[in-house]
Amino acid sequence: MGKCAVEVTLCGERGLHQRTVSKQTGFLSMVGVFIATVFLLITQSAQAHNVIGGVYAIGSTVEGEVGFSNGDMAAEGTEVVISDAAGTELGREAIDSEGMFTYEASQRIDHYFSVNLSSGHLLDLILPADELPDSLPGGGATRAAKVSEAQVNFDGDQKALQALVEQAVAKQVKPLRKELAAYKEKAGFQDILGGIGYIFGLCGIGIWWRQRQREKGDASVS
Amino acid sequence: MHIVDGALAVPVLAAGAAMTVAGVAWGLKRMDYDHLPQVGVLSAVFFIASYIHLPIGFSSVHLILNGLIGLALGWAAFPALLVALFLQAVFFGFGGFLVLGVNAVNIALPAVLVYYLCRHGISSPSPKIAATWGAIGGAGSIIITTIMVAFSLMLSGEAFLLAAKATFVAHIPVMIVEGFVTAAAVLLIRKVKPEFLGIDEERVYG
Repeated sequence: MGKCAVEVTLCGERGLHQRTVSKQTGFLSMVGVFIATVFLLITQSAQAHNVIGGVYAIGSTVEGEVGFSNGDMAAEGTEVVISDAAGTELGREAIDSEGMFTYEASQRIDHYFSVNLSSGHLLDLILPADELPDSLPGGGATRAAKVSEAQVNFDGDQKALQALVEQAVAKQVKPLRKELAAYKEKAGFQDILGGIGYIFGLCGIGIWWRQRQREKGDASVS
Repeated sequence: MHIVDGALAVPVLAAGAAMTVAGVAWGLKRMDYDHLPQVGVLSAVFFIASYIHLPIGFSSVHLILNGLIGLALGWAAFPALLVALFLQAVFFGFGGFLVLGVNAVNIALPAVLVYYLCRHGISSPSPKIAATWGAIGGAGSIIITTIMVAFSLMLSGEAFLLAAKATFVAHIPVMIVEGFVTAAAVLLIRKVKPEFLGIDEERVYG
């Protein structure tokens, strides 16, 4: 709305400009279209065309999902490269028809997943070691020992119980994780208004600067 | 259309950044400062256009509008699009900061090319011819952008034909929509605010 005021003063400054009136209506109609577009945004709840995805550990099985933020999933057969922190390749998995892939972790270390969806779409996902079960060999060995010490009161197969608990928790947490990832990805209305505000602010600075130059010029002439 | 950080090789990034700096400098120099509000409004339009997804059948597309912006702004499209792309990277996470230069060139250079190619056509006395040139500008800028995106990817090691085909096919709906939108916009602006497109009124109405 501040824009209108600026335009009006600019036109007023031109004084005898013949097209002042039509200029203003033209500009107002443009602003109208602009505002209509902004409101369209609110109703559409549109999303960015970014690559999104997530990896979740269910026991020692790592389940991952890759897709675009507009709802399309990654193409079937797209390769996911799994590597460790040092960049050593641990394996490759292909994405299935629903944009999912699974990987059986054999070590309790940080897993890095990278997907190249071509056309400049890349996605890197990290699964931290502590999301994998303690029973796997690797960085968490000392911690695993502590856990089993604390559990001496249990009878029966400790490992099986632990795996069951981990699976159950993962199942419960998965939808929350997905929702959180989607929420993080979605830019809010504030972001849109913020961006537009910056652009108009920059314009304002430009106009102000221009005005100063002009005044300086006028002063030096008179 | 937005290439993300990490997809391109360093020389490509550097070349893109250098070209963007040159384009922006030239654009700021050539810009008529009385038209600054228009540059701002079109920059804002581009900023949100990429965010609005129009459903088309099973998929969705978003407008890019660089053809229209080029027709209206000429070289000033460079600063307008750079600002919008930067803010898209900040607020929406589109593209990235390292590839900002490449993305700006890939989107702004076609805009400038379209400006020189179709400027004459859209100021034709016949609305039909003008609309046709508007459509050519709208669709053409997308075609050039897809080729440039594929070219950037090729220079960074991806097979050109494969990348070009994938990007081109994915953007065919965008080309069609942009063609119609730009043609309609040209017709509307000719009536409402012809000086916006730098059209000589005497040629149109005289």
